Amino acid sequence: MSSSLIEVQREEFSILDSWLKAREFIVVGKSVRRVDSLEKVLGRARYVEDYLVEGMTYARIVKSSVPHGLIESISPGEASSHPDFIDLVTAEDVPGQNQVGYYISDQPALAEGKVRFHGEPVALVVARKPESAELLRSMVEVRVKPLPAVFDPLEAMKDQVIIHEEVGSNVVIKTHIGKGDAEKALEESDYVVENEYRMGYQDHAYIEPEGVLAIPRDGEYTVIAPAQYPHLAQLISARVLGVPQSKVRVIQPMIGGAFGGKDDMGPILAAQAVVAAHKTGKPVLLTYSREDSFTSHCKRDPAIIYYKSGASKEGRLTAVQVRIIFDAGAYANRGPFTLWRATAHASGPYEVPNVDSRGFLVYTNKVYQGSFRGFGNPQVQFAAERQMDELAEKLGIDPLEFRLMNILKPGSRTCTNQLLDHSVGIGEALRRVAEASGWREKRRRYGRIENGKARGIGVACAWHGISTSRGVPDWCNAYINVAKDGSVSVYTGIVEFGQGTHTGILQIVSEALGIPVEKINLIGGTSDAPDTGATHGSRGLSFGGTAALIAATKIRKAVQRVAARSFGCSPDDVELRDGWVYCRRDPEKRMRWEEAVKACYLQGEEMSATGYFFMPKERFDEKKGQGQAYVVFSYMAIITEVEVDVETGLTRVLKVWPALCAGRIINPELAKGQVDGAILQGLGYMLLEEIKVEDGRILNPAFTDYLVPTIMDLPEIMDPIYVEDYFKYGPMGAKGLAEMALIPMAPAIGNAIKHAVGVGPREVPYPAEKLYMDLRRVRRG
Amino acid sequence: MSMLEYRRFSSLEDALRFLSERPDAKIVAGGTDLVVQMRMGKLKPSTVADIRGIRELRGIRESDEGLEIGALTTIEEIRESSLVERLAPPLWEAAQEFATWQIRNMGTLGGNLCNASPAADTAPPLMVLGARVRTARLGGGRTIPIEEFFRGPGETILEKGELLTHVHIPRPGDSEGHAFQRLGRRVAHILSIVSAAAAVGVEDGRIGWVRVALGSVAPTPVRARTVERELTGKTPSRDLIKSASEKVLNDIKPISDVRASAEYRRAMSVVLVRRVLEKALRRAGA
Repeated sequence: MSSSLIEVQREEFSILDSWLKAREFIVVGKSVRRVDSLEKVLGRARYVEDYLVEGMTYARIVKSSVPHGLIESISPGEASSHPDFIDLVTAEDVPGQNQVGYYISDQPALAEGKVRFHGEPVALVVARKPESAELLRSMVEVRVKPLPAVFDPLEAMKDQVIIHEEVGSNVVIKTHIGKGDAEKALEESDYVVENEYRMGYQDHAYIEPEGVLAIPRDGEYTVIAPAQYPHLAQLISARVLGVPQSKVRVIQPMIGGAFGGKDDMGPILAAQAVVAAHKTGKPVLLTYSREDSFTSHCKRDPAIIYYKSGASKEGRLTAVQVRIIFDAGAYANRGPFTLWRATAHASGPYEVPNVDSRGFLVYTNKVYQGSFRGFGNPQVQFAAERQMDELAEKLGIDPLEFRLMNILKPGSRTCTNQLLDHSVGIGEALRRVAEASGWREKRRRYGRIENGKARGIGVACAWHGISTSRGVPDWCNAYINVAKDGSVSVYTGIVEFGQGTHTGILQIVSEALGIPVEKINLIGGTSDAPDTGATHGSRGLSFGGTAALIAATKIRKAVQRVAARSFGCSPDDVELRDGWVYCRRDPEKRMRWEEAVKACYLQGEEMSATGYFFMPKERFDEKKGQGQAYVVFSYMAIITEVEVDVETGLTRVLKVWPALCAGRIINPELAKGQVDGAILQGLGYMLLEEIKVEDGRILNPAFTDYLVPTIMDLPEIMDPIYVEDYFKYGPMGAKGLAEMALIPMAPAIGNAIKHAVGVGPREVPYPAEKLYMDLRRVRRG
Repeated sequence: MSMLEYRRFSSLEDALRFLSERPDAKIVAGGTDLVVQMRMGKLKPSTVADIRGIRELRGIRESDEGLEIGALTTIEEIRESSLVERLAPPLWEAAQEFATWQIRNMGTLGGNLCNASPAADTAPPLMVLGARVRTARLGGGRTIPIEEFFRGPGETILEKGELLTHVHIPRPGDSEGHAFQRLGRRVAHILSIVSAAAAVGVEDGRIGWVRVALGSVAPTPVRARTVERELTGKTPSRDLIKSASEKVLNDIKPISDVRASAEYRRAMSVVLVRRVLEKALRRAGA
């Protein structure tokens, strides 16, 4: 960390440190009712489609029905004579740059010259009525000259069909991390396990499909966007419009689920909608139907992983060698980062002296990949955790014991040789979850077929770097203003899409100012707030909360100074609690919070503050693939109990024991909500959710045949065990948690299936039919 | 631009008259199949006749011969009916696991049959119960065994202007046992990969008669006659049921689709037939 950063942020560090050491909390750590629940229950919450603007028009995407081809013409055809037809918007209508690529500039807002996947938006049809928009888009004539297409990433790596001429190869990014000599160590290992793993797509399947409302006015644009990073939606909208970023204002509506998907789709739809708004001069509500969402929105990256790992006969991991191929689909989008994350987490949360992990991001003519809860990590943790069980079996050691023998702890070095100096609670989590689940006894008792059914119990761990990786600059911010009457407004760029983060941030501000949550108003998810970075990587509460805590503490200090003068005591002795400001040594000396605020206004103390914090990062050497991969990691251990019907292959997850190391838990009820939801989403990933693709076309773009778990699939989920391994730069020590429980779910189920019936899944998803076929193969020998 | 003419009826006669004049009209009751197919663009009717308001086609009655169920009776009504539970147990079992509450509240028995999906979960139970369906048309109508009702996916023997009005289910005898089971890809709210129903009459410790039917494994719901032949007149045993169940492969012609492979469907048909036979025999007291 540069010494200048320490100097510049001295005050911020000391604020965070003082809260880390606080002995008692009033609001933090309590299950405060989430602030948006009432309006949701009453149906008053406004989602993007609930915004009604005068003169509103309705847009739908026109999609390519060819996986790869040259666009010859796009014309409205019969649509133009329909009374509700307003306009057809194509790439030609983009006034600025037709570019929405996240890291690599390879993706147009609307296809230009070429189409690269079946379902790619080539145009927007704008109509006076929503139902007409649906009809009109079927009349638009798109002529495409088909090109040879490639769907299999291994095939695509041969570069016989090039999808992006400007990139020159279908292998768009290669990644690498490692240390020691894995090759040699594997040769010298007592036990080696080598396998190939394959994972399919997962769709976010949020309740609310994508939609954005763009309202033009005098060269300025207001964009109601369910995006996870308002300032990114603002930047990309401004880019396609060719206007300064400040001319675009992004506001978040209530959002019906995001799970990472709207980190990508928010900005992309914003870009599409503002172009239509620009061309027509009218407010445009662009919505994707559920089918559009399936065919045309990004998904979890399909992966092929070759994994070789070794152990000594004493039970210590010696080396892992991993090759990861991520199927990016038609555009790189977040692929460079999901792949890097996968590469850098490939070892699992274990001490491994020799590591060689390499990744390849490959274009194919299919729907593209994107951000999704876990962000590249669930794929690689599945492989890593299945390997751990197979190694343990070879060694003849209990798989949970084997994990404990190798688990990361404070002082350990990770697979990128990063020193973990604090906040590593996974060992304790594993021990406690083993005890809670009755692991040893069930491990002995299960694994027998009785009446055609077999039970099994399995464990899996995960680690997950919080926020952005390596040296990618990372900051957070918040702005707080205290009105003269003592009520407080908090502005944050952090977006609420169901996680409850805004409630968590309010709790932090409430704690710091000693006033009830009801006195505080939070304005979040808007470009009017300071740029807070994205709400992704489980950073919303952890990093967004840090900024809010810093800003609130600056105001707290101003109040303390003023009150100290009045009380004749030291500012450090002034306490703020329950709406009172008082002297700790002499509680008789006190005033209402409102009086204190008034005194600040009169005595020249600023009653607004920002909480900018630039995350201190250490160096990462890309060449060596070593260094600080993430500022901090959260950890998870999960044990699942399953019952397999050996005649049908149907697996039921009966019970789940989660244990989470996410530092301080700000709101236990909200944390549990995230854990439960992630467990169910992880169950779907492992057992149900499958996108079937034929010649690049998705065959099941509906919930009839894309199966998400229902409430009837819900296992009994035990209350999470929290190991509060505080993080020094988190608010009161909080780390991220929203992604955590999903990541080890698939291998925890896989390992339980292995325990139950002796067949170890190497594929995700692993629905009944696959297990049945594997069981039959084994039975037939 | 396409316009849709929508007509609503509360009397059977009015509906039949309209249908005789407008034979191309699509009939809608609960709409859980038709509306979905229209939205997917698979069906583009110019006229829709809504018969949901015809009260005489709704309800469950015990008759001398057994049970009479109006075509407009919802699946949820069947699910909640103690009459159906007592007199048509496998139909009641099928209704328990049928789709979702919302769909059960809208979807009707007649609609499930007339949509003629190979996966219609009410069909195999009715087939093993020996049910007959009654139809009406202007100036007539007919009563036919349920098995003769289906002709192919989405196709029935109903002619233009003809409506399904009632389903008749004979009263089960004392030494009869029934069972229904379905296999879906998740616990609930899911289309069946295979469904199977069985009814068996036990006479002097032997299988006097048996009916087995399956859904989702042929162009229409089918009887497993080879299995039935294998069992009839014999003393039930584990081995007999096992070997007879395997014969179901002669009675079915499953396809591979997005839900399951033909191979998996074949294997699961054997499993489900064995399970429903075991259950039905147990219930028959054998």
